[in-house]
Amino acid sequence: MAFAMVEHKSKILYTAFVLFILGLVKVVFQLTGGENLYAPDFSNLKEVEFYDLENSRGSADGWRRDERILFCVPLRDASAHLPMFFGHMKNLTYPHNLIDLAFLVSDSSDDTLGELVKHLTQIQNDPDPKMHFGTIEIFEKDFGQAIGQGFSDRHGFAAQGPRRKLMARARNWLWTVAIKPYHSYVYWRDADVETSPQTILEDLMHHDKDIIVPNVWRPLPDWLGNQQPYDLNSWQESDGGLQLADTLDEDACIVEGYVEYQTWRPHLAYLRDPYGDPEVEMELDGIGGVSILTKAKVFRTGAHFPAFSFEKHAETEAFGKLAKRMGYSVVGLPHYVIWHIYEPSSDDLKHMEWMALEEVRQQEEAKIKKVYDRVWGKAFEDVHNNWNKEREDFLKNTDMANFKSIKVDWSGVDDWNLENGNDKQLADFNP
Amino acid sequence: MALNRYQIIRQIRRKPLSVLGSVAALLIIYFLFFTSHGSDSKLSKNRPTYNYNKVNKGWFGSSADDMFLKSMPKKHINRYDLNKLTTSADALKNREEILILTPLSKFLPEYWENLNKLTYDHNLIELGFIIPRSEYGDAALPKLEAAIKKTQASTNKFKKITILRQDSESLKSQTEKERHALAVQKERRSMMALARNSLLFTVLSPSTSWVLWLDSDIVETAPTLLQDMIAHNKPLLSANVFQRFYNEETKENDIRPYDYNNWIESDDGLKLASTLKDDEIIVEGYAEMATYRPLMAKFYDPNAASNVEMALDGVGGGALLVKADVHRDGAMFPSFPFYHLIETEGFAKMAKRLGYEVFGLPNYLVYHYNE
Ligand SMILES: Nc1nc2c(ncn2[C@@H]2O[C@H](COP(=O)(O)OP(=O)(O)OP(=O)(O)O)[C@@H](O)[C@H]2O)c(=O)[nH]1
Ligand SMILES: Nc1nc2c(ncn2[C@@H]2O[C@H](COP(=O)(O)OP(=O)(O)OP(=O)(O)O)[C@@H](O)[C@H]2O)c(=O)[nH]1
Ligand SMILES: [Mg+2]
Ligand SMILES: [Mg+2]
Repeated sequence: MAFAMVEHKSKILYTAFVLFILGLVKVVFQLTGGENLYAPDFSNLKEVEFYDLENSRGSADGWRRDERILFCVPLRDASAHLPMFFGHMKNLTYPHNLIDLAFLVSDSSDDTLGELVKHLTQIQNDPDPKMHFGTIEIFEKDFGQAIGQGFSDRHGFAAQGPRRKLMARARNWLWTVAIKPYHSYVYWRDADVETSPQTILEDLMHHDKDIIVPNVWRPLPDWLGNQQPYDLNSWQESDGGLQLADTLDEDACIVEGYVEYQTWRPHLAYLRDPYGDPEVEMELDGIGGVSILTKAKVFRTGAHFPAFSFEKHAETEAFGKLAKRMGYSVVGLPHYVIWHIYEPSSDDLKHMEWMALEEVRQQEEAKIKKVYDRVWGKAFEDVHNNWNKEREDFLKNTDMANFKSIKVDWSGVDDWNLENGNDKQLADFNP
Repeated sequence: MALNRYQIIRQIRRKPLSVLGSVAALLIIYFLFFTSHGSDSKLSKNRPTYNYNKVNKGWFGSSADDMFLKSMPKKHINRYDLNKLTTSADALKNREEILILTPLSKFLPEYWENLNKLTYDHNLIELGFIIPRSEYGDAALPKLEAAIKKTQASTNKFKKITILRQDSESLKSQTEKERHALAVQKERRSMMALARNSLLFTVLSPSTSWVLWLDSDIVETAPTLLQDMIAHNKPLLSANVFQRFYNEETKENDIRPYDYNNWIESDDGLKLASTLKDDEIIVEGYAEMATYRPLMAKFYDPNAASNVEMALDGVGGGALLVKADVHRDGAMFPSFPFYHLIETEGFAKMAKRLGYEVFGLPNYLVYHYNE
């Protein structure tokens, strides 16, 4: 009995010893491996907050680590796009409660704000709590737009510099007031995106880059060829680009995709292969703003959308350049695509008007032809069959079969047609 | 050797549980220490599928701010009309909010007392601090914590206070001589720029009208500092930083200029800049880099009015008042050479590029601590 007791005691001792060693290892690990920094306790003061920024550095699988994303959307006259936009929002697979939404509504002549609040209220009151997003902030600020919001107003060459600088200000006013110490990521999204994968946040995040953008294309009507690269603001710097920059004055603003500025830069948009691996990365210098995922520290440490000419660029393109100067990685995915909506340009609109008129004209013509045909049939007797019979009689007298045949040398004629195996075809578009 | 192995096997036969125990202990150790660090997302090459299970943070993994995040309001939609935000000479009458920002590597009680004595309505003042990730930070933080607890329990409490622990590295040594060596200036000021930006942008709120940058070693200002500077209604305005000392020659208490970062650009400065490589910087106050820039510190005239203004091109961060809109437009502290300027001086340049004017008050003094 006594012996059994001793045996039992030694077992307890053994267990205690193992636990003690475990605790010791953990403490040693804390002191050496992990940091052991002082953290103040303000739990009794609700107006005082303490954050360790180390906790919001952003990792490749943020959705598993409760990492919060600040989701920024600039809006102007965008109420028509909002139903589509919120359709995408509802489908996002990134945990909604980890996404804080921030909107900036500027200079709108439609009811963008009212529509926005309506959609947000709806989604936040969804019976499924998984639908609810984190905090939602809507900011209003008008900058007084000199440029209209029609497609061709926005995309004319002369409008680009001032428009870009203004848009840069708008973007900065949004993120500078919205970003909090606990955000690990910032995601920018334009309202006018038509198609985008539900997993877009995870798809971009798992690359673990400081700044990353997808490729942006847009669908086109058949008569314009199905589809087209849209966002030409994502590019890699070239010698041609740098040389051009050197010749321009301090406040000039290079914008891609205009004949006025030939930079010969490789564009993300043109490098797309519809069958390419969507994981392929390409290093970039300038980026477009349709969909950008960045680690929050990029903005926190001061990268922004220059509203002045920075290295001869402004807004998102200059943001890429600025972030590069600060040592951050800027990457694009050539074969991973999201689709911008198709908005007709004023030339397209003219063409569409012409097409509509043409259709009416053709209908009219068909109607008139029917009437003509009827009148024709009534007015004239059909002598077609008679003529066919008589023709044979005529031709009998001119038969050449009895004469000697003429020989012609046809050799060498085909030599000219050797190269004709080039059958270009457009890729089939099916968004 | 053979005997040894035989013994082990016999041990296992006799007491299988003891072996199981050690294996279990090893497993426990493995799960406790390694699982929370390895990221085990299984991503296939072409079509990534994602694992949505939460990563276990381990025993001590949960951070202090988790609690705050959990208590965040849900379903709430906040609206802010920034068109209504004003910045005016009569800020107090318009109830304009001020954010006072201080990168803080050492806590001086005189600094805190001076802050408490400011006569602008404290209900309209928010404070923000960023503390380095070093033992200096760990020395300063408990003192700041105690001071805040005392002040916030009084009738003089501030509207809101945010303290951040810096994520980026900071230089280890902080003695005055080492801080000022030219070779370390670029690196040091670059890190300071990152700290200032991290503080500014995460704490700046939609209701902030003015931002006052106040270094932690500014130990004496007029109690009306905020009203005095705001009255000028300038986008950027820098006070003149002086220092009190005992003058051995005159055997009297005296003052001398301290901050040389407030200056006007000179031809020599521009010429010097044009000879530099893209990644090189100019810092004021070093014989190796003679710019002959007129320094605001040298323009102090004790007999002239304290509200005299002078246009500047570079500023320091000692006591610098900025309209919050300037920061919202994107003006920040460059951590890289921006027109060969860095940190506060680069900030002034960037504000100018955005179309804002920069001013200083040569006769309006604030005082730096004397080590
Ligand atoms: N707040 C604000 N948002 C704007 C402004 N201008 C455009 N937006 C929004 O910004 C996003 C992008 O603007 P768009 O006008 O579509 O720009 P875009 O023509 O797609 O520009 P690119 O694709 O770069 O050619 C959309 O969500 C717009 O609603 C503005 O002045 N203020
Ligand atoms: N967060 C943070 N703050 C710092 C660090 N180093 C200095 N500071 C603070 O930044 C401000 C300016 O630092 P100083 O060391 O005074 O720099 P300075 O004014 O250029 O140097 P002095 O002329 O010696 O005053 C002070 O408020 C410091 O407390 C740092 O590494 N991290
Ligand atoms: Mg668009
Ligand atoms: Mg100092």
